[in-house]
Amino acid sequence: MNQFALSLQSVVKMFGGVRAVDGVSLQVAPGERRVVIGPNGAGKTSLFHCISGVIRPTSGVIQCFGEDITQLSEPQRTQKGVGRTFQISSVFAELTVLENVALAVLGIRQQKWGMWSAVNQLKGLREKAAEQLALVGLPGKEEVMVKSLSYGERRQLELVLALVNGPKLLLLDEPCAGLSPSERQRLFSIIKNLPRSITMLMIEHDMDIALALADRVTVLHRGEMILEGSAQEVRQNPQVREVYFGQV
Amino acid sequence: MNTTRLIAIVLLIIVVGLPMAAGTYWVGLVTQIFIFGLLALAVDLLLGHAGLFSLCHAAFFAVAAYTTSILQVRYGVSTQWAVPAGLLAGTSLGLLFGLSVRTRGVYFILVTMAMGYIIWGVGYRWSAFTGGDSGITNVPAPMVSGFQISTAEQFYYVVLAVLLVVLALYQKLVRSPFGLVLRGIKSGEPRMRSLGFNPARHLYVAFVISAFMASLAGVLYVYHNRFINPVAASLHVNMEAVLMAIVGGSGTLLGPFIGAALVLGLRNWVSSFFEFHLAVMGLVFIAVVIWAPGGVIGLLRRYSSGKEK
Repeated sequence: MNQFALSLQSVVKMFGGVRAVDGVSLQVAPGERRVVIGPNGAGKTSLFHCISGVIRPTSGVIQCFGEDITQLSEPQRTQKGVGRTFQISSVFAELTVLENVALAVLGIRQQKWGMWSAVNQLKGLREKAAEQLALVGLPGKEEVMVKSLSYGERRQLELVLALVNGPKLLLLDEPCAGLSPSERQRLFSIIKNLPRSITMLMIEHDMDIALALADRVTVLHRGEMILEGSAQEVRQNPQVREVYFGQV
Repeated sequence: MNTTRLIAIVLLIIVVGLPMAAGTYWVGLVTQIFIFGLLALAVDLLLGHAGLFSLCHAAFFAVAAYTTSILQVRYGVSTQWAVPAGLLAGTSLGLLFGLSVRTRGVYFILVTMAMGYIIWGVGYRWSAFTGGDSGITNVPAPMVSGFQISTAEQFYYVVLAVLLVVLALYQKLVRSPFGLVLRGIKSGEPRMRSLGFNPARHLYVAFVISAFMASLAGVLYVYHNRFINPVAASLHVNMEAVLMAIVGGSGTLLGPFIGAALVLGLRNWVSSFFEFHLAVMGLVFIAVVIWAPGGVIGLLRRYSSGKEK
C-alpha cells in the first residue's frame, strides 16, 4: 500500500494516433508541491485531464492516497478530495461571486438537491465565502456579478472555487496565465501561502514562478516525462535547456 | 424591492377582480393566457434556468389532457380521479422523454422535437383510441366533491388558485440550491463537473418537474376547452410556448405569462382582420430576438435601471 498523495503508473492517453500522454509514471508525496513544465503540446493539460477525470487514460493506473481512481468519473474524484482550476478561466460569469462560491460548496454535499429553502439561507455559507474571499484578496465582493470582475479577479475566484471544500490534492492549470506581473506576483504568493495539508500539482509556463514554488519539478516533452528533479537540477539539466528553452 | 411588491399586489387585485369587471370573452381569454403561461413557464424552467431548449412539452400537455378527457368521457371516471391520472400519465412520459438530457444543444432540440412528433403522430393516427383528427369532444365541466364548476368565472378562479400555488412553489424552487445548480449548468457545465456535480442528474429531475407542470397545464386546458385534438401536441404549440417564454422574458417568474398574453392577445386581434397572422407572429419573434433578447421583462428592467442612474 503506497502512501503517495498521487501516483501514476504508465499513464497513456491516445487521441487517434497521437500519444498525447506517453507512459508517464510519477509519484507525489503528501504535502509536496510539484510543478509540471514543458513546451507547448508537451501533454501537460492532457495529463491534468487524466488526473482530474475530464478524460480517461487509454491505459495505466492513477492512485490518489493509495486508492485507485482510474475508473472514477470527474464528480466522483471531486468527492474524494481532488480540486482543480482551469487554464481558461471558467467561473460562472452570469452569477454573483457568492453564488459561485455556493455552487462550489454544494458540489460535494447532498444539499445540492434541496428545493425548499433558499440558497442564501444555507448554513455557514456567507461566513465561509467571506473567509475564502478575504484569503485571495476579494473581500466584500459577494454580491458582485462575476462578469463585471476583472480578469485577474476571476483568476482569484477560480482559486476560491477549487479551495472552498478543502481539497487534499489541488491541481492548478496555469493559475497565473494572462495576468499582469503584479497580479501574477499576488496570486503566486497566495498559492505559496496555502497550507501544506494540500498537496499541489501545478502546470506553469513562467519558469521563475514554477521553480520558486516547486519542491520538485517534472518535465514533459512530447507526452513523455524526460526528467524529474529539484528546481536546481532542472535548471541545470542540458536536455531540459534544449527542449524547453529552445537552446541547441 | 418595494416596487416589486406593489406591482405584485396591483396585479393580484386586477386578476382577482377581473371577472367582476369584464365579460365572459375576457374571462375566457385570460383563463387561456394563464394556462398557456403555465405551459410556457414549464418550458422556461429548462430554457431560462438550465439552458435546455425543449420542443416536446406539448406532448406532456396533450397526453395529460387526453388521459383526463378519455377517462372522463369514455369511462365515466370522476374528475377527482381523472385529473391525477392525467398528471401521472404526462409526468410518466416525462420520466421517459427526460432521458434526452444526455444530449445537448442542437441535438437536444432535435431529439425533443422528434419525441414530440411521435406523440402528435399517435394522437393523429390512432383514431380508434384518440378520436384522430376530431379528437375527444364533449368533455364535461369538472365536478369536485359534488360541486360542478360550470361557469367560466368559477373555472377562472380554479385556474387562478392553482396558478398562485404553482408560482409560489416555482419561486421557491428557482431560489433553492437546486435552482442555482441549474443556472450553474447553464453558465458552465464542464466546471460543474469539476465541482462534484453530475449535471445530467439535475437536468433529468428538472425535466420531470417541468413535464409535471406541462401536464398540469394540459389538464386545465381540457376542462377549459372541453375538447382536445392532436393539434395540442403539434410542433406549433411547442414553438408557441417557447415564443411566449422568450417574448415575455426568459428566466423570470412572470415573463412567460406576459408572453402568453402578448402572443394570444396579438393572435386573437390580428387574426380578426388578417389571414396570415402566423407571419405576424414570426416577425414579432424576430424583432424580440434582435432588439429585446431579455423580452418584455428585460426591457422594463433596462428602462427602470436607466432611470435610476
